Amino acid sequence: MAGAAIEPDPDGQPGSTGGRSPGGKLNEPRLRVGRGLAAMRLAARGGARYAVNAPRLFAAAGERRQQLRDDLALRTAQDVADTLGTMKGVLMKIGQLASYVDDGIAPPARRILGRLQDSVPPMSPELAAGVIREELGATPEQIFKEWDPLPIAAASIGQVHRAITADGQAVAVKVQYPGIAETIAADLRNVALIKSLLKMAVPSQDVTALIEELRERIGEELDYLREAENQRQFAAYFDGHPTARVPKIIDELSTARVMTSELAAGARFSEMLGWSQREKDLAAETIYRFTFRSLYELRAFNGDPHPGNYLFEPGGRVTFLDFGLVKHFKPDELDPLIRMIETLCIQQDHEGFRRAMEEAGFLDPGAPIETDEVVRHMSLFYETIRERGPRTMTSEYASAVARRYVDFKSPLAAYAKIPRSYVIVQRINLGLFAVLGEMNATADWRGLSEEIWPFVQAPPSTPMGEAELPWLARARR
Amino acid sequence: MPMTAEVFPEIGFFQRAATAFADCVPTDPADDGFFGPASVTWRLHTDLTAPVSGLRSLLLQALHPLAMAGVDQHSEWRDDPAGRFASTSAYVITTTYGDRAAARAAAARVRKIHEWVTGTDPVSGKPYEASDPALLIWVHAALVDSGLVAADRYGLRLSDADKDQYVAEMTAAAELVGVPPASFADGGAPASVAELDAYFDAVRPSLATSRSTADIATYLLNMPDVEPELADVWDVLARAAVASLPGWARSMYGFGDGGPAPGSVPPEREEVRQVLGVLDAVYLAEPGALEARQRLTLRMREAGQ
Repeated sequence: MAGAAIEPDPDGQPGSTGGRSPGGKLNEPRLRVGRGLAAMRLAARGGARYAVNAPRLFAAAGERRQQLRDDLALRTAQDVADTLGTMKGVLMKIGQLASYVDDGIAPPARRILGRLQDSVPPMSPELAAGVIREELGATPEQIFKEWDPLPIAAASIGQVHRAITADGQAVAVKVQYPGIAETIAADLRNVALIKSLLKMAVPSQDVTALIEELRERIGEELDYLREAENQRQFAAYFDGHPTARVPKIIDELSTARVMTSELAAGARFSEMLGWSQREKDLAAETIYRFTFRSLYELRAFNGDPHPGNYLFEPGGRVTFLDFGLVKHFKPDELDPLIRMIETLCIQQDHEGFRRAMEEAGFLDPGAPIETDEVVRHMSLFYETIRERGPRTMTSEYASAVARRYVDFKSPLAAYAKIPRSYVIVQRINLGLFAVLGEMNATADWRGLSEEIWPFVQAPPSTPMGEAELPWLARARR
Repeated sequence: MPMTAEVFPEIGFFQRAATAFADCVPTDPADDGFFGPASVTWRLHTDLTAPVSGLRSLLLQALHPLAMAGVDQHSEWRDDPAGRFASTSAYVITTTYGDRAAARAAAARVRKIHEWVTGTDPVSGKPYEASDPALLIWVHAALVDSGLVAADRYGLRLSDADKDQYVAEMTAAAELVGVPPASFADGGAPASVAELDAYFDAVRPSLATSRSTADIATYLLNMPDVEPELADVWDVLARAAVASLPGWARSMYGFGDGGPAPGSVPPEREEVRQVLGVLDAVYLAEPGALEARQRLTLRMREAGQ
């Protein structure tokens, strides 16, 4: 993706004021930005038609975030500590973590955690400018040609501002709340309290595994350099991809607490759901290709498949946002997962599948359960890729998978567990099913998978697969 | 779904206190009431430490045999402690943030109820009347002292001048409920920290514990209505309240220095604040509570706080 797209028309007429040249570069940004900024801000803050990089709303899917309240803005680092310290920042992260599993989070806790998101006001323009000054060494006005002092979205432990760089590029600048890292670090030391909170929020989950994950995730999210590095990696890998896009990081304007990237445009998930099924299927195919190409080629799983992390354009083009959570795998971590697919879906070797599960640590060796029972239980997770042919993802299927995932009554439950390094994979998988299910997407998922599986590398099975070839040749080199 | 899924809404205490807060913070007040958004009172009463302050206040108030007898013989606290607590919260919130008419109306209702609250303390055999200014001052002083002490230990640290200012401002609340509008020396409420301290020195000989005192302390500190998962959280709160009591009050109850159990270590400020933050999140999730908080914040900001 070259340059950035701006579509500042709140009525949704693409390009009516922003416009992109065929090359994707902004036309005469100087003439347009003033008006563009104002309109963009209104649009983004009002109807949230626009997303910018990493607009990860605190709220989990389905929960409406209150409009950003500038009149209640946090004015000092002390305000930040009072509002997000005292465990509240940690609570929010628990909410995010727990939201990956449909059935995992207790409904009352969901309500409390959702409401907590609403209670966090944005930073005042002065406070945000102060962070820019500390991190980039000059005021926003000195650094950027244009700087929107009001945030257009809440981000993870920060907020997103829109700006135009000195050379005319429209960017999204994620600014971290000052002092938040120290505050959260102090709260994380209260392990006993966090354990109680996790027990209340996600009663069905293994608290010890979660607390480790929570620490890791918070650590990762506090360090924007790490997120930028992840995003850089994905952007480089998908550079030139016909439909999957990742906004590029602007290196010289990114630090541990400020992250600047290309501004992206497109329809939000909810808007895209109103498009034709053909368009939705194409978008779903891109999401699927993006997810599993990343997993097998980059050995990295991106973020959470949260509907807020995608922007859609016709023709199956999807921009992927938010690389705050990326799980990187070592080859030996990925191998057992691959063997499970190979044995079950290709060789149909049930005993081999069972052994692969045991090697991965999913199943206790020697558990007194028939192998057929194991396969019966697990095959739901592989239903879409066991055979060739078009299949439709539905919300019902996604829910069934989520229920099976947390089913403690199954005969397997006593012997099955999810090793820590795979916890996130499972969650992200469930999230992906949920997203594709909501899109009612139909595809030959097995066909797509065979293209992507490194142990098959089948030729293209769809027009998008054909279009991928030149990119793939370069990416594999 | 396990039982624990229902943990949060079962906390009748917080739910009902939050509802009272949402209902009693006015949306369109006729005036700024008896304190106003620029007051120290608003600043202190919106502090995170309010639950500790409330708990400490109740523990202290129960030490006056006549006040305790009135509550025990005339209120339904044993049957519906959360309801009793919520109506007290509603009263304090209305008189603090409501306009003058709302505050006066709430005070008039309480004074009317107080007319019926008379009797004889079964322990000492002494008669009592809830409208007795001496008892009203006791309840008032415990509330004011607890607000100051809880905030100082675990939250907002006021300057000495602001502490005096708070005690002086709060005499308006005392007068609303029937304390004579006179100086402390002439039978009015304490109007400075020094007067507050002098008051406690003077009143201590009248204080005593009884079975009722023990019952209410047991209830408040063990909070049987709280689910097992929240027990640890409540325990921190209970220890924080006990640790902030005057030493003589802890001795009367037989508490340790840092909590109900002898030999307890006082909880750290940080730990108490973390627990308070969690409780605040629970509180703000109740319908209307966040909006009520925001209404207050906006008015305080306009007033330059």
